[in-house]
Amino acid sequence: MADTASLGSASGEYVAPKRFNPWPVVIFICLFTLAILFLAPTFGVLLSSVKTTRDIALGDLWAIPSSMYWGNYVEVLSNPAVHGYMLNTFLVAAPATAFSIGLGTLAGYVFSKLPFKGSDLVFLLVVSGMFFPPQVILIPLFRLFNLMGLIDTLWPMIIVHTALGIPICTLLMRNFFATVPNPLREAAILEGANEWQVLTRIALPISLPAIAVLATLQFTWIWNDFLWPLIFTQSDEKRTIMLGLVFMKGQYSVAWGIQGAMSLIASLPTLIVFLFFQRFFIKGMTMGAVKG
Amino acid sequence: MNQSNTFWRVALLALPLSVFALIIIWPLLSSFYYGFTNWNGFSDNYDFVGFENFGKLFSDRLFMSAAINTIIWMAIAVVLPTILGLSLALLIDSHVPGGPIFKTIFYLPICLSAVVVGQVWVWIYQPDWGLLNSIIEYVTNDRFNYAWLAKPDSALYSVIVAWSWQATGLSMVIYLAGLTAIPGDLLEVCELEGATTWQRIRHVILPLLTPATVVVVALSVINSLKGFDILYIMTGGGPFNSSDTLAMHMYNESFKKYLMGYGSAISVVLFLVALTIIRLYFKQLKKVDEIYG
Repeated sequence: MADTASLGSASGEYVAPKRFNPWPVVIFICLFTLAILFLAPTFGVLLSSVKTTRDIALGDLWAIPSSMYWGNYVEVLSNPAVHGYMLNTFLVAAPATAFSIGLGTLAGYVFSKLPFKGSDLVFLLVVSGMFFPPQVILIPLFRLFNLMGLIDTLWPMIIVHTALGIPICTLLMRNFFATVPNPLREAAILEGANEWQVLTRIALPISLPAIAVLATLQFTWIWNDFLWPLIFTQSDEKRTIMLGLVFMKGQYSVAWGIQGAMSLIASLPTLIVFLFFQRFFIKGMTMGAVKG
Repeated sequence: MNQSNTFWRVALLALPLSVFALIIIWPLLSSFYYGFTNWNGFSDNYDFVGFENFGKLFSDRLFMSAAINTIIWMAIAVVLPTILGLSLALLIDSHVPGGPIFKTIFYLPICLSAVVVGQVWVWIYQPDWGLLNSIIEYVTNDRFNYAWLAKPDSALYSVIVAWSWQATGLSMVIYLAGLTAIPGDLLEVCELEGATTWQRIRHVILPLLTPATVVVVALSVINSLKGFDILYIMTGGGPFNSSDTLAMHMYNESFKKYLMGYGSAISVVLFLVALTIIRLYFKQLKKVDEIYG
């Protein structure tokens, strides 16, 4: 609160003659200090990854290194288990992202362009699905996939993430389709097009930005997920990267440098997505939140 | 025309709704069912035990402490990311040089996995060379090696601070979106009328940000119920279950002790709490919508 309070009395009761205004500088310094505090954790990982375990144990983690040590990265990148983790995560995240967007597009189109009696209620039911803690459906799903013999395969994660993505995808697609003018659809229908053609040839091409938003959001969430792989996998061959990270922490229990390099490599795909598609990312987060 | 509309509704909704029903709705309902059994997670046989699991909740000391911890988490989640996010949004919205870069920096943690965030913060709290203790040692010039995560008094709060670090970015962008919706002429009028910056924030900006505040507070509370990954990484609910939350307790009972019937009862409680919050949220949203349009 001190930050906002310090903004006070910027322009006092009297009209001061035009002179140096300190407030932009003060605000900049405030933000700069906060930014450094905020970056410290991330910076710590970066620092640890280029230091030897011995240096870290001696208490030098937070100092700027005089020389870079790349051994941690070599160790992690040459570990075949890490390749497997990354591949598994990709094999889960890519199809689940695509499927959830596909299903959300279908549902969003109906809720936006073909509403029916009670469709608002069904829509609300679907959307509220994104607010519940996943623990609520954990046990029955564990039993379901156990009975189907799918535990310790990638399938349960693909299926569950597809389903969990339906609420946000339906919500964003519906909101986006609402901006597609109705006369456009009606004209196409009069010309003899059916709904499927309207959806794929008119609505979808206009909605590419919404799909970009959803792709960044979904991919990041699924890549970063920890709970579902924890429940659904048993063998090392099926672990995803976040689970592998925790598992390898035991293996390299005090090799902090290696842990740092591993965290960074595990976060690289989502960091890249974030830095390149930040605009989409923020849009999706605020749209999903505000219109929810 | 009407008939074909019905056909397309069914055709297009069939797949998404059946997946949603099978993977979300059906498990949700069967959680209630398992809550009345003593299923152990593996055997095909189980018995109905009536309300035994739900009765056990009240005598389970660990459940009670997990419930209290969840409430503490919620309370801090309402205050910390909200105030921090609002302050950052107000500062960035003041056209400070480098605004977009600051925005990226504060928002960045949100794209990190809770696993990575947890691990980073374990290092910050590390007793011997962690950043926090290093700073304290530097300031006090004295040896300091308090084990933040290993002490029952501080474990839960240490985790919540780490969680808030990640949650602040979301609050900030929601507030920023709310701030851009406030018309610039309105603020200019305030300035011409001689309102101080503080008066402007207190009497004009904050009231107009009410819709954003409703969203931020609701999301913080809802997300705090979901807080599991970061807790699992940082303390695992320990030491001595002192940082257990409902989500953590449910996981422990179901997948560590294989008391799936009892675990289901806990998840039913979790569901009812979430349902109450979500209903309140939707109601507030509707109210705000009516007032602010």
